[in-house]
Amino acid sequence: MTTTRREFIRTVGGAIASSQMALEATETGAVAAAIPNVPVTPPQGSGRRKVIYDQDNSGPFGTDILGTLMMLQADNIDLLGITLVTGDAWMKQEMAFTLRLLEMMGRTEIPVYPGAEFPMLNTKEEWLLRSQLYGGHRLDPWMGAFNRPNGGPDDVQPLPPPYVRFADSSNIKAQQDHAARFIIKTARENPGQVTIYAGGPLTNLALAIALAPDIVPLVPEVVIMGTGFHTFTNTFNICFDPEAARKVLRAPWPKFSIVTVDLAEEIHEADALTPGRSMIGEIVARAQSPIADLFQRYAVEPLKRDPSTRLFRMADEMIAAQVIDPAVFTKSEQMYVDICCTPGPRYGDAMFWHKNWQEVPNEGKQPVSAADRRIFVDPRQFYLGPPPSAGLVNVLQEVDRNRFTNLFVDLMTKPIRKA
Amino acid sequence: METSSGPLAHSAMFSPPEQAPVAPSVKKKLIYDQDHRGPLSTDTVATLMLLQADNIDLLGICTVTCDMWGRQETAYALRLLELMGRKEVPVYMGAQEPLLNTKAEAQMRYQMFGSRTLGNEGYLGCFAKDGGSRDDLEPLPPPYSRFAQLKAQPEPAADFIIRTIRAHPNEITMYCGGPMTNLALAAMLAPDIVPITKEVIFMGGGLHHSTSSVNVYFDPEAAKIAFRAGWPKLTLVTTDLAEQVHMQDDAKVDYIVDHAHAPIDELFRRFEQKPQRDNPQRQSFRMPDEMMAAHAIDPSIFGGFDEMYIDIVTHNDGHYGDTLFWDANWSDANKGTPLAGQNNPSIKAGRVEVLKAIDKKRFREIFVDLMTRPVNQAKS
Repeated sequence: MTTTRREFIRTVGGAIASSQMALEATETGAVAAAIPNVPVTPPQGSGRRKVIYDQDNSGPFGTDILGTLMMLQADNIDLLGITLVTGDAWMKQEMAFTLRLLEMMGRTEIPVYPGAEFPMLNTKEEWLLRSQLYGGHRLDPWMGAFNRPNGGPDDVQPLPPPYVRFADSSNIKAQQDHAARFIIKTARENPGQVTIYAGGPLTNLALAIALAPDIVPLVPEVVIMGTGFHTFTNTFNICFDPEAARKVLRAPWPKFSIVTVDLAEEIHEADALTPGRSMIGEIVARAQSPIADLFQRYAVEPLKRDPSTRLFRMADEMIAAQVIDPAVFTKSEQMYVDICCTPGPRYGDAMFWHKNWQEVPNEGKQPVSAADRRIFVDPRQFYLGPPPSAGLVNVLQEVDRNRFTNLFVDLMTKPIRKA
Repeated sequence: METSSGPLAHSAMFSPPEQAPVAPSVKKKLIYDQDHRGPLSTDTVATLMLLQADNIDLLGICTVTCDMWGRQETAYALRLLELMGRKEVPVYMGAQEPLLNTKAEAQMRYQMFGSRTLGNEGYLGCFAKDGGSRDDLEPLPPPYSRFAQLKAQPEPAADFIIRTIRAHPNEITMYCGGPMTNLALAAMLAPDIVPITKEVIFMGGGLHHSTSSVNVYFDPEAAKIAFRAGWPKLTLVTTDLAEQVHMQDDAKVDYIVDHAHAPIDELFRRFEQKPQRDNPQRQSFRMPDEMMAAHAIDPSIFGGFDEMYIDIVTHNDGHYGDTLFWDANWSDANKGTPLAGQNNPSIKAGRVEVLKAIDKKRFREIFVDLMTRPVNQAKS
């Protein structure tokens, strides 16, 4: 029995429309919302790391799907649920790909929650008008869900091979609860234990902390991809919903790690594993179905047709790496960050400030690079710090290429992990 | 439905009442979302009006930070319900902070761009310098005297709003007397509630007196989301209209102090009559939230509305939270002139019905009657 497109849209839409929220009380005091004082314990080396996977899971292939496959394959990860958000694609289309991918991977035990279908404030029409008014935006050729061929939020297209059809709904279907509520409930039930992977716009997370600010200290780490210093300061996940990003980045999470676009640019899918052996070739040669099929169809064949095809940087794969094996990243820095939410040409740009801006390096005291010398001036004269509400985050700055590519190829080629 | 196309065709100036006064058997189901400032303010007085009105079925009170921090407002709301003997009305604590705006930035914007002018329009609610912080909880003065034994519900206000509107499709009136943070969260989490909400009544924004009001510029992003959402009917009480009636007009306060029952008499004696007697120069506040309550209780006292488009400025500068209005008939305006077809609204602007006149005499009658009648008993 297979699910038709019409049936699929009805079940997903119905699930969202009828979702009933039974939020458990944290506290029933006269004026509730006391923040539970729970010590945050780092994940234990022996136990599996509990993770909520929040993603704009745009299929059939690409950085979103590869991040998903890594999390599904990693033995040390306990994937509590997948929450979806409109970003690279519309949420319902992502739901179709995600449910079917889990079916193909034999992992139908993982619940999938429908999340925000629209950004908080940003709209497709205003994005297009901003480009006309201020000039084109580097992200215009992408635009994710807002791109014309993606239609509207209910336009779910059939799934191409190897997906072929929608998931059998009697086997796996979308959950009733909204993603934000699942995040709240899960963080409260597992204080200090649930890491949040956020690979898309941060709308679901922003809604969760607006409804329940008490979960912020209960989440040991949030890892996102977006923002940048050098390559670009504007990145899709942030520009698609700048207000959500600002809200989430400003919250006082115990640890908030960022894969910047600068870091993600350092490794591309088509890169070599070792000289003469490409990651893709290795995976196609050794991986099992359906991973091998996906790489064959969406990486090997496009490259065969056009060897100049530039496969994408490994953005979401790096978030997965930070969750699965943080030792992949050899350097990071605590920095202040904020997002420009003025609806102008810089809508969604990221801005960074050094955590130790008051200890401005002076020549003779500490080595100062030429680039730093342009930034740092006499602190007695100028204010160099962040704006009053900027968030303090952990910016990942160096990746161990060898360790990362080996981790990636290992996860893609090992036997498909069982439920 | 108006169909003629003249420039003012959409405004139903002093139209006759749309319906006969509602009989108690068909009470209007209402969710009361409020930045509930105690001990007595336009917020609290509107609460008293809705508690006293026979034709209102008050399904719940939601609080939202603005005039005060949510915790303190919730404490006032709970104790007021105890004093009024209305413990059956559930109280839900809502957003404790705006979606994005922060106290530090609000203060800094005023330094950089100057405060909003026009008398007290620079008001920042609990974001004022001496406004304390989120978790502060001050004792309640007499006649409140102590914290309530009544507890707030564990559910967040936004979830209560979603659940209730879904349970009563096309029946719920949302009264939003503070920033629309709770309503915006509800609409983002559950867009399906928007078309099945009977009416949203909101106080804020202005065309003349000031271009904005604290309920909008305290949380501009929430206002933008809520205004753009597409409710079947969104009624707006502007500052322009609210300015037409002030609390001390017509010696209302003295009459209420003399004729009201406890605890209403004591509240008005301590917090309206006494301050006025101590300082005769005091300018008593306009009655915005009382007007919203009056609209919920008896819409016929308002003399029609203008259909307009509305949008909110969210640039983080001196205009953060300004309200922009456009005539719903912009495409018909200035026909035959070079201005024709040029006054269009922003591409995503929302539609609102801007109340434009109030029958002051009837408003006063309704208000004084509600404040002086015997205190309403709890629903059985």
